[in-house]
Amino acid sequence: MGKTQIVKKKEKVRPGAWQIILIAGFLFYMFIPIISTYLFSVATRWDRTILPEGYTLEFYGKTFEASYFLSSLRNSIILSVSTIFVSLVLIVPTTYWVHVRLPQAKPILDMLMILPFGIPTVVLALALVQVYNPTPLGHSPVLLIGAVFIYSMPFMYRPISNALNAIDAQTLTEAGQSLGATTGQVLLKVIIPNIFAGIISGSLLVFATVFAEFTLTKLILGARFKTFPLLLVEYTRINGNIAAAFSVISFTIAWLVSILILWVGKKSQGASAEAVRSH
Amino acid sequence: MDKKSKNQRLAGAKNWLGFVPFLLFCFAFEFVPIIFLFRGSFIDKATKGFTLNHYAAMGKAIYINSFLNSVKISGLTAVIGVIFGTLIGYAIYRLPSERFRNALISLSDVTTNFSGAPLAFAFVIILGMNGVITQFLIKYFNYQLYPDFSIYSFSGLVLAYVYFQLPLMVLIIIPAFVGIKKQWQESAESLGANTLQFWWHIGIPVLAPSLIAGLTLLFANAFGAYATAYTLVESQLSLVTLQIGYMIAGEVRHDPGIGMVMAIISLLIMGLSIAIYQISTTRVRRWSK
Repeated sequence: MGKTQIVKKKEKVRPGAWQIILIAGFLFYMFIPIISTYLFSVATRWDRTILPEGYTLEFYGKTFEASYFLSSLRNSIILSVSTIFVSLVLIVPTTYWVHVRLPQAKPILDMLMILPFGIPTVVLALALVQVYNPTPLGHSPVLLIGAVFIYSMPFMYRPISNALNAIDAQTLTEAGQSLGATTGQVLLKVIIPNIFAGIISGSLLVFATVFAEFTLTKLILGARFKTFPLLLVEYTRINGNIAAAFSVISFTIAWLVSILILWVGKKSQGASAEAVRSH
Repeated sequence: MDKKSKNQRLAGAKNWLGFVPFLLFCFAFEFVPIIFLFRGSFIDKATKGFTLNHYAAMGKAIYINSFLNSVKISGLTAVIGVIFGTLIGYAIYRLPSERFRNALISLSDVTTNFSGAPLAFAFVIILGMNGVITQFLIKYFNYQLYPDFSIYSFSGLVLAYVYFQLPLMVLIIIPAFVGIKKQWQESAESLGANTLQFWWHIGIPVLAPSLIAGLTLLFANAFGAYATAYTLVESQLSLVTLQIGYMIAGEVRHDPGIGMVMAIISLLIMGLSIAIYQISTTRVRRWSK
């Protein structure tokens, strides 16, 4: 008995060969495409040798020459920030209200937040275009923001809902109201400061999602509103080196946002790993 | 008494009012358009009358093919993702170092969201005609990937999809391994069960809901994907999402009703997957209590 326990302990200290092989394979699969993109974006020529023949920052300089580069970045940021704004205004109060005043609607809200995962983005785009294109809303950024809001709302909802669960919003609200505060005051002065980490995580997730959004933007507005992902796809067909530099920019933004989310999550237990989980 | 209950009901109605702005938004940008889509799929464009012609048209080879291709790529990458994701997840779960374990989980969290054009292009860089790995294989193994393989084909798309499917499965399955309590394995061993018996009688049944949840979520994840496919195989492979996209962009002269029918069928397929996923995850929660 004692002997098997010693064996077990040894097993725990050292990962087995099967573990090393699986994890090494996983790391290889996850990193090779990304590292290659970073290298390709600074390579002078890389189609005859294993490592690039030389290195240059020329293509990053060229990204600025690419027409639409700055305007597409600007459009992507406008779209992300407006969507975050709409999400905050709609989802924070609604989630709080349902938690405190309307718990019987919680299953409905949960279901509404799962639904977007069941709707392919092309289907959402087709549905919106069919209904709204004959109206003034057709081909307008407002329609796109509405679409992107629906698509990204689960990412805002999860962290906020988890944060509300963690702080016992009900008791805090009753305490606030017994001191004479209105529900609005409680939300602004008590609840929001307490779920701030959740709000930040949610906003960052929405930012990352919307910044990388391609399908809805292309199919609803197309060339009228060129965002960064649209420009990237265009350049994959025009100039590989510049496309690689664009890919690097979008990978880097995704990494930065993820690191920020992790950091915010560590700062507070409220936004748990589950809240960051976002599919 | 009567008045009180009336007041309560009034207060209840007032509480529902707080839910209305959000619901209105969902109606405007989600439900109403989809209801119209459903309605439109039965309407003849010329006569404005009821028709089943659009549904009947699904029997044409081009549409059947795109559904078959979509189901094939989603099914295949979901199965690959579930098998390898579970194995990798178990390897990660059994790692002695908590820091390394958490780092790998965070990595999965980031990479599962790497999809679309940047990912597709990264695969062109490594596995395109002049790609890094293509060159490496020629130089060191004298092995020509092309023309048997192409990144702009079904098999190329499989590789790109597996990239985001694997980490998604890792994230789904690790909590399930945590749910298999150490004590269960110990008690099974003390009752004389070997490792195989433990996994067969206890481990796999406990994991089963998570495996099913993973399979359906991964399937839906791939089925709805558009940007990666658009960048890689645009005209080489016919997929449902690509077809619907062409119809919106007006790149093909088709009856819009056809696109609507494809959209409705996709919604049904996706809805079914997500429903099974939901049911399985409630099962999972029951175990973790």
